[in-house]
Amino acid sequence: MRNEDTTMHVRGTSQFVDDIPVSAGALHAVLFTSPVARGKIRSLDISKAAAAPGVAAVYTYRDVPGLNQVGHMMKDQPLLAVDSVEYIGQPIALVVAETQRAARRAMRLIEADIEKLEAVFDPREAAAKGMIHGKKRMLVSGDPDAAFARCAHVAQGRLASGPQEHFYFETQRALAVPGEHDTIKVHASAQSPGAFHHHLAEVLGIPMHKVELDIRRLGGGFGGKESTAVWIVAPAMAAFLLKRPVKLVLERNDDIATTGKRHAYEYDYKLGLDAEGNILAYEVTLFQHAGACADISPAVLGRSFLHASGSYRIPNIRVTAVSCRTNIPPNNAFRGFGVPQGTFAIEAALTRAAEVMGVEAEMVKRRNLLRDGDTLPYGVTLSEVNAARCWETLDKKTNLAARRAAVAAYNKAHTDTKKGLAVVPVCFGISFAQMALNQASSLVNIYVDGSVSVSTGAVEMGQGVNAKIRVIAARTLGINVDKVRVDTTNTSRIPNASPTSASTGADLNGMATKFACEKLYARLQEFAARHFKAAGPASVQIRDENIFIDGKAEALTWEKFVAAAQWARVDLSEHAFYATPNLHYDMETERGRPFAYYSYGASLTEVRLDCVRGTYKIEAIDIVQDAGESLSPAIDLGQIEGAVIQGMGWATMEQLRYGADGRVLTGVNAYKVPDIKFCPKRFDVTLLKDSSNPYAVCNSKAIGEPPFVHGLGAYLALCNALRSVRRDKDAPSLPVTPEKAFMYLHGPAQ
Amino acid sequence: MPSFILNERLIHTDERPGMVLLEFVRDVTCLSGTKEACREGECGACTVLVGTRQADGGVAYKACASCLLPIGDVDGCHVVTVEGLSGESLTLVQQLIVEHSASQCGFCTPGIVLSLTGFCLGSPKLSYDDAIDALDGNICRCTGYVSIRNAARALCERLAGAAADPAQRLAALVAAGVVPGYFGAIPEQLAQLHAAPAQAVQGAVLVAGGTDLFAQRPEQLLESDLCFLSARCDLDYIRVDGEVLRVGGAVTIEDFRRSEPVRKHFPGLPEDLLRHSSTILRNKATLTGNVVNASPIGDATIILLALDAKLVIETAGGARREVRLENFFQAYKKVDLACGELVSEIVIPLLPAGARYHFEKVSNRAMLDIAAVNSALRLTSAPDGSIADLRISAGGVGPVPFLLGGLEAFRGKKLTPETVDAIAKSAESAAKPIDDIRGAAAYKKLLLGQLMRAHFAPAVVEAV
Repeated sequence: MRNEDTTMHVRGTSQFVDDIPVSAGALHAVLFTSPVARGKIRSLDISKAAAAPGVAAVYTYRDVPGLNQVGHMMKDQPLLAVDSVEYIGQPIALVVAETQRAARRAMRLIEADIEKLEAVFDPREAAAKGMIHGKKRMLVSGDPDAAFARCAHVAQGRLASGPQEHFYFETQRALAVPGEHDTIKVHASAQSPGAFHHHLAEVLGIPMHKVELDIRRLGGGFGGKESTAVWIVAPAMAAFLLKRPVKLVLERNDDIATTGKRHAYEYDYKLGLDAEGNILAYEVTLFQHAGACADISPAVLGRSFLHASGSYRIPNIRVTAVSCRTNIPPNNAFRGFGVPQGTFAIEAALTRAAEVMGVEAEMVKRRNLLRDGDTLPYGVTLSEVNAARCWETLDKKTNLAARRAAVAAYNKAHTDTKKGLAVVPVCFGISFAQMALNQASSLVNIYVDGSVSVSTGAVEMGQGVNAKIRVIAARTLGINVDKVRVDTTNTSRIPNASPTSASTGADLNGMATKFACEKLYARLQEFAARHFKAAGPASVQIRDENIFIDGKAEALTWEKFVAAAQWARVDLSEHAFYATPNLHYDMETERGRPFAYYSYGASLTEVRLDCVRGTYKIEAIDIVQDAGESLSPAIDLGQIEGAVIQGMGWATMEQLRYGADGRVLTGVNAYKVPDIKFCPKRFDVTLLKDSSNPYAVCNSKAIGEPPFVHGLGAYLALCNALRSVRRDKDAPSLPVTPEKAFMYLHGPAQ
Repeated sequence: MPSFILNERLIHTDERPGMVLLEFVRDVTCLSGTKEACREGECGACTVLVGTRQADGGVAYKACASCLLPIGDVDGCHVVTVEGLSGESLTLVQQLIVEHSASQCGFCTPGIVLSLTGFCLGSPKLSYDDAIDALDGNICRCTGYVSIRNAARALCERLAGAAADPAQRLAALVAAGVVPGYFGAIPEQLAQLHAAPAQAVQGAVLVAGGTDLFAQRPEQLLESDLCFLSARCDLDYIRVDGEVLRVGGAVTIEDFRRSEPVRKHFPGLPEDLLRHSSTILRNKATLTGNVVNASPIGDATIILLALDAKLVIETAGGARREVRLENFFQAYKKVDLACGELVSEIVIPLLPAGARYHFEKVSNRAMLDIAAVNSALRLTSAPDGSIADLRISAGGVGPVPFLLGGLEAFRGKKLTPETVDAIAKSAESAAKPIDDIRGAAAYKKLLLGQLMRAHFAPAVVEAV
């Protein structure tokens, strides 16, 4: 089973937002944004822009018909700035014109007099000044202070991981078309139908039933289209006020400069081992570089916080986490949602501790891997743990000890190049950490010609969720997949939908679809029992589009059968709802069961470092990933490969530079993401065999995010190679760019 | 008024010649299969094929970034977008991408289809490695490339032997379902399409490929009068003339890279130029454009400096003068070229006996990236192994690309570690880099020194 959209993608006929034909009267919107990281707006002169050729309107906060607010978790983000600005790129005015070019020219005529105020760009400084979003969180389990006193080996220090730009190919965009009765239809590239629907209605000042948000597909999302509604609400506001279709398409460099990123983090850590290498205590403080508004940062931080112990058994732990309010664009979700950062700290700390102990990191990692019966810091006692099974499968496949010995031999024989190796285990909790989001609904319609349409709250962004939902619907109804079409994600069909994120798209929406199809199936069984005068519904079976009574096929085809059912006044439409059971979490005590289950994995990354030039090549990666009973191995392999390369990009070349004034200096010509030649020559993925999962649809497991964490292997393997050369300073922070590798090798000691 | 064939349709348009093809196909002809994702030639989502009529009457197809390609520059050409490839059934490239799940969100996919199709049409060898080279400008943020590599491998396997003879290539590709049948009639149709001869317009901007110009100031160029170097067929030549290689001003980086004389006389250079930029840019960018651009970090410039190239400059009146490349750069982005003048030829001395050439470049991403520091070397050794002559260029460490001075002092010296060290130290002290987006000054200074060590021990210092 493949993603059927690909047959359109290769022809270029898939419709993205900017491909939707618009009427001749459509207008284009651009935002005028703050050139200052923090300041007071003394005056704003839009008169020249408003009088420019082709301009239909220039709007400021005064023109917002409803609530001037797009804050996602907290109401702290005005759509258009009122009297102050908090980051460079903050929207101040909206220019609407006949063409995008005219709108952009007019936008440059806006004059803003902004008094510059002192801005903060350092998360530690923000934390020290109490500039934080939400409240500081602390989770303590066991007695870390007492345990440190018993440790034979202690590693401690500071760590940092950098930001990451989503670089979804389709930049932020939306097309809004006004309708009768002050209604509006918005086509958007968005991951959060329910939340954005709500934002739209609030800003326009109309009830939600007058707003229809329709999402066909995204040209990539990766979390970047989950929480910040600015670029969807702004054109909708213009369309609503002007009564004409309005489109907003963010230019690439504006997208890089003004949208949220994966959060950079800073860390203070202390990790203690006993003489055998068992972890006794771990203490870590996470400083999240959140940006000017809360956006979704506290939720991201929460996930880093809950994953601070990684794949390891840590009896005594203290995790502290703060979301630091700084004057950069608000950061948001990005594949992994804080888990890569939480995992990074423990992986780096454990690697350092192994160094202190004088053993290879694999030895310490293997020894401390989670197993059945272990309790996580927030109180969950684990069962069905596949951490060791993934590790052993990887070992069988690669022979870890032999690979380590080969690296050591290579390094002994070479001075100008060095190899490095790292094993990364992954343990990733599945469910939204925000309890309320763990719900989904599905609407399944069977038409009299036998075709079936399914609508859910899931958003297709290339991850193949629609293909998986088709499989689930077809399997449950007993028909072929080509009978099933998954319709657009539309708020009029599916209200209040959760975002498609946290790798839960197929889990939640697939389960709701299964429920809806089961209800329809039961109804059709009942009808068939009557129709064919069978003993009862239980003797009816629908399989391969045939109707079986007591195992014997009837002559009636599926098409004729459903037409007969409709004629007999049987309801052929069903809505069903699913809420993940048994989830609970108490933020006061930091205890609970926040995740339905865990996805496991293990990988081995090998790199070769050029010590003369500071360049490197990721030569090989072997991965074992637990996908449960995969609904589509082709799709799941693609998710793993894509996530891993994205993770490697984060760990190696992807870097953003900021100017002293807080401006993003890196444009598209300098923000480098992996290309085809970066991809390791050896890239081997194995799906863990005989894994089942009673907690998700059809025993499958979530796959979108967990493999991203394997990308950390590139960082750790590079550090491994670097530290085979010298150890008179701390390992470089993440990402290890060629510049950082070079300066580590050739720069001064600490 | 530009005239060209877009897929199967004849186009005469009065849009400005400086409008880029991407905007034209999407907004004027409403073909939305070609995607816009960066507008700077960095991603490949907007890749199209441009077929140019050749002297032998055939058409040569090249994949190009349509976001940097003004419609004035495709006058008389056959432009192919994804809509011009498949009819009822998918092409072979499309089928293989589907079969290998080599597409996820789909936004980059049309560009990948076009690049692979361009590979089938234009690559001398249909090898897997060449297929990967052809995809070096197509970024995909979803798949991680493994599935794309698999599709490319399958493509090469399917075409193995089928299209070995270049003269029979088109017919074979039509038969294999790579391109539709109407391609066969295009040469004849292009012959009928009389492209307007290049007209010199006073004050017109000379476009020598335009892959940097149209990334830097597209809005201004939309309004400007333009003159396209690609129309100067008389400047499209590469020939050996005695002890020098003469390269016409209109030659693209990719044609230069693949040319027989370059492969024969400058081993290593074709491979080095893969790092200049991606296929979809090299197919349009010119050597002269790279030189006149005067970027302190231009890869072709750095190579030509070490090779002691000369520029032949043609004045508006038709007079000619010659400038040694090392004297061409006067200050940051300021060159010895007056308004109305153009570089009509680059003269590159062939390597003297006992000489070797070597190029070093370090960039954040190994491919398709601008160097932090680059450097080229031409080392002539005496029979006894001592240095007879030494030229080393350096980029990214000053306002202009330059040659290291004072290297005469090393003539007659043996290439001992001490000599290499002294050269490295002298290079470091000549470096005056600044902190910028490509790296910190301290990094670039030290890196230049290390690249000297790499120059002198390329066999030992194995590039990773």
